[in-house]
Amino acid sequence: MITFIQFLITGLRLGSVYALIALGYTMVYGIIKLINFAHGDFIMVGGYTLFFTIPLLMGMGLPGWLAVIPAIVICACVGVLVELLAYRPVRRTGNSLTCLITAIAMSFVLENLAQAIPAIGPDPRVPYTLFADTISVGGVSISHATIITIAVSAVIMVALYLFTQKARIGCAMRCVSEDKSASTLMGINVNHTILITFAIGAGLAAVAALMYVSQYPRVYTTMGATLGIYAFVAAVLGGIGSLPGAMLGGLLIGIVQSGANTYISSSMSDTFVYLILIVVLMLRPAGILGKNVGEKV
Amino acid sequence: MKKRRILSLVTAACLAFSLTSCGSTSDDAAADSGDASEDGGTAVITLGMIGPLTGSLAVYGTHNQRGVELAIEEINAAGGVTLSDGTYQLAADIRDDQGDTTECVNAMNALISDGIQLVIGSATSGCTSAITSIANSEGVVLITPSGTADSLTTSMGYVFRTCFRDSFQGELAAQYAADQGYTRVGIVYCSADTYSSGLRDAFSAACAEKGIEVVAEESVATMTEVDYTNQFNQMVSAGAELVFTPFYYDVMGPYLIPQARSVGFDGVLLGADGVDNTETTIPDGADLSAYNNVMFVNHYSTDLATSDVSLSFIESYEAKYGESPNNFDALAYDAVYVLVSAMEDAGAADAASVQASLADTSKVYEVSTGTFSFDDTGTPIKSGVLMGYQYDEATDSVQKISIETLSVD
Amino acid sequence: MNAKETKLRYLVNFIAVAALFAAAVALGLTGGDTMKLRITPSIWQCGYLIVMAASLNLVLGFLGQLSLGHCGFMAVGAYAAALISLAFQRAGVYDQKSGPAFILVLLVSFLAAGVLAAVLGLLVGIPALRLKGDYLAIITLGFGMIIVNIINNLPFCGQQGLGQGSASSALYATGLGFSNDEKMRYLWLVALVVILCVAAMFLFVRSKYGRAIRAIRDNEIAASASGINVNYYKVLTFTISAFFAGITGALYACCNGALTTTSFAFTNGSILNSVFIVVMVVVGGMGSLTGSVIAAVVMFLLNYTIKNGAWVAALPVIVQNVFAYPMLVYSIALIIVILFRPKGIMGSREFALCDIPRWPARIRAHFAGAGAARAAKKEVSYHG
Repeated sequence: MITFIQFLITGLRLGSVYALIALGYTMVYGIIKLINFAHGDFIMVGGYTLFFTIPLLMGMGLPGWLAVIPAIVICACVGVLVELLAYRPVRRTGNSLTCLITAIAMSFVLENLAQAIPAIGPDPRVPYTLFADTISVGGVSISHATIITIAVSAVIMVALYLFTQKARIGCAMRCVSEDKSASTLMGINVNHTILITFAIGAGLAAVAALMYVSQYPRVYTTMGATLGIYAFVAAVLGGIGSLPGAMLGGLLIGIVQSGANTYISSSMSDTFVYLILIVVLMLRPAGILGKNVGEKV
Repeated sequence: MKKRRILSLVTAACLAFSLTSCGSTSDDAAADSGDASEDGGTAVITLGMIGPLTGSLAVYGTHNQRGVELAIEEINAAGGVTLSDGTYQLAADIRDDQGDTTECVNAMNALISDGIQLVIGSATSGCTSAITSIANSEGVVLITPSGTADSLTTSMGYVFRTCFRDSFQGELAAQYAADQGYTRVGIVYCSADTYSSGLRDAFSAACAEKGIEVVAEESVATMTEVDYTNQFNQMVSAGAELVFTPFYYDVMGPYLIPQARSVGFDGVLLGADGVDNTETTIPDGADLSAYNNVMFVNHYSTDLATSDVSLSFIESYEAKYGESPNNFDALAYDAVYVLVSAMEDAGAADAASVQASLADTSKVYEVSTGTFSFDDTGTPIKSGVLMGYQYDEATDSVQKISIETLSVD
Repeated sequence: MNAKETKLRYLVNFIAVAALFAAAVALGLTGGDTMKLRITPSIWQCGYLIVMAASLNLVLGFLGQLSLGHCGFMAVGAYAAALISLAFQRAGVYDQKSGPAFILVLLVSFLAAGVLAAVLGLLVGIPALRLKGDYLAIITLGFGMIIVNIINNLPFCGQQGLGQGSASSALYATGLGFSNDEKMRYLWLVALVVILCVAAMFLFVRSKYGRAIRAIRDNEIAASASGINVNYYKVLTFTISAFFAGITGALYACCNGALTTTSFAFTNGSILNSVFIVVMVVVGGMGSLTGSVIAAVVMFLLNYTIKNGAWVAALPVIVQNVFAYPMLVYSIALIIVILFRPKGIMGSREFALCDIPRWPARIRAHFAGAGAARAAKKEVSYHG
């Protein structure tokens, strides 16, 4: 029984982080239909910002989690830069495949640029652990960070939903995702809207970075690659473009990974994560909560 | 529109250039001094070095590089290498293999084709295993600072190393477990990594020999895995008193140790030389008492050391780089000194003479990671030391302690 | 184009290819350190990159489906060929890496590598190809990861098997892993395999099958309405592509006796990974086999000379410092290529020797048309 509870807690712990990252992923995808492979690397940017700013803020006597604000600012700037320097020009000349490849290239650029910057370098860094306290439930302990991550993900999910449904700019985003040229006709500045989408997506990555480093306190330049792929799998599993889907997909993947670890084979847990993905996509090609849109002829 | 496109590219390129160029000042200085010595008419011996300088394994390669550069700087400052036909300065031709075997083979072949006879590399067993056969067939001395897999060198040839062999460290660890009277041990390791799985194989074989029961064995998929709670949960429920954890310090400090304690594992965590430097990766704000009862086998200890080579190495390393060295620094640093000592004994710097000198198993090298001589496979015969971490309540910090010198009976 | 001209084109191409092959064989008979240490290994690596890029082009360029797990098939081929050659050696079929028995073992292990990868391609393709676009990309990525993860955990071939240890040394000593001298002696092998594979793929895309898959790429619904069995052709192409990826794996095992699964992983940061094979296809031109060949060679040479060429030392220090991060250079270069030539170097055209006399006229036409095309594009800048 203890084993079972422990496996669930570990699953939630992993899954909550994946869910939070997947929210950012799925939002950007929902608007511009681009798998932003560099999203994982935004987390890395956020992680390093937190590594440098948490001690600074704590030195000033402020709570450490406030460091998320500079992290959001820097991540949003990086997101906007990436969009302006790479995605926008490529979107103008290329097709969806070239955009995807640009995204992959951008991810390599960010990783290697970080390694090349002397203040960051290839050595892994260990940031300050926030929310390290634990509470005990029925003989097993659960960390505050896990609970906060789940809460933060839920709040962000609801906020994003309200934002895209109610806010003016949110409606513009949905409009752009439906039909770019029609939105231009409706007086929406498409490029402007996409820029804001990127800023928000990257800002979410900074929040995810905060929660990630409080549970797994280690940042290194290539951390985004694996994290990004898991979050992407989570987003697809839940139905890409769907906010509750991303949350569900993230938690599911965390639990599957943890379950495979505990009950089947710990070194093969990746295989089970991808197997679940494959099975779900076979049964529901648009993901668990995704809408299956028929093709227009 | 085209103009804007070009503008954006130029901005991106400028950004990349300016960011990467800030890191280069120290490299420039080193390169300049190398040129200057050539202008002064001094002859130069160039050592080759191969390692993962970029990519996901960059941390190992860059530390190898630091060790090599520090050693060369010291030797040159002390007057260089004296051979039978004069005094030489040292230089290094450093190649990046990105942790990939093909790149490693290319770098090795290119170094040989550039006339380099003495090569240090590579950092990982996987890459090194791809170039050992080239070293032997082309007759070039290869000395690996951290390729620990047993199979890298199984007879006296052109391949040497300055690190332990996996099986030796595994045996030492099992020896410690037997000495302390543990009968039920567990293993958590990474099945996809040569270092980790090599140590695990050696440890469990030695345990079987000594009558220690391995009650649980769990693995993770990568060496950078973030979550170990399920694995340690299994250890607790299997009743392991000691868990062998052949991982590197970068996951031990932030992940493995605190997570093992969080699921209630209070026994000994026993690691190998990769665990050294865990004190640098303990997160601020973590519960420091978790780091009690962590032991590891290591090459040397500054407390137990009889020579002051180790101490002077640590001192000069800290002076140059502003942080304490790890094993990757120390072993690469030693590789240079071993090569220099062999060159000076042979009086020549060609591969055949250096190999002959290194192959003399009676010769004793006194280097920063201990005093050793090579066995008949080119692997050092060293004794290990057992070290550990202890939470010191008085200073509220984790201290590294040296416990005892270990040797296999 | 009349029949006579077609015949002439085939003849010219045949002679050129035969000359290339003869050159490779002749090179293998020469000596010298540069030849042995630099040129021969380069030819081997170019060889497998060419076949790999061309085989992915079948799926990506001609069929129009993005597969991010192509290196998984290569991994299967590499491990299969290596294990089979070792098994034959242990059974005593050959004891030296020469003679007819060894050639036969080579043939068997290459074919087996291809067939095994093809079977796996079929098994992966049947479910995966029901999906399209981004979903197909993630699912193939998933399959690639699963393959690598499983190989890693097989005791006889993972990190404990062929990655290191006695099996790796055995592969060099007695199995497929070729030393520098043997790579030189078997230079004809890589030339032959590359020529046969590329020719076979060329014939495939020129056949009625090739026309069918290009029809699917251009408009799936229209293709299916004109009686093309879309699923059949998709799976067929995927399987054939996997077959050639398997052959590539066998070449890789010959070239690089120490097999580690990290070389084939998606996140591996070196030139050989699924992403960079995609890059080769895109840079070369989707739907142009000769484009893939050119891109593979160019990317290899760029990668090789940045790390091991003397010319880098002649560059300004600031450029050298950027070149110390090769992946940074490639990624930026890739973005530049995509910006200025989104269709790749060759577009969907094939390189043909007979066309060279026509180049000046084409270039003039390109520049004359470029201005008009740009004006037209401005109108629809949000599309596509």
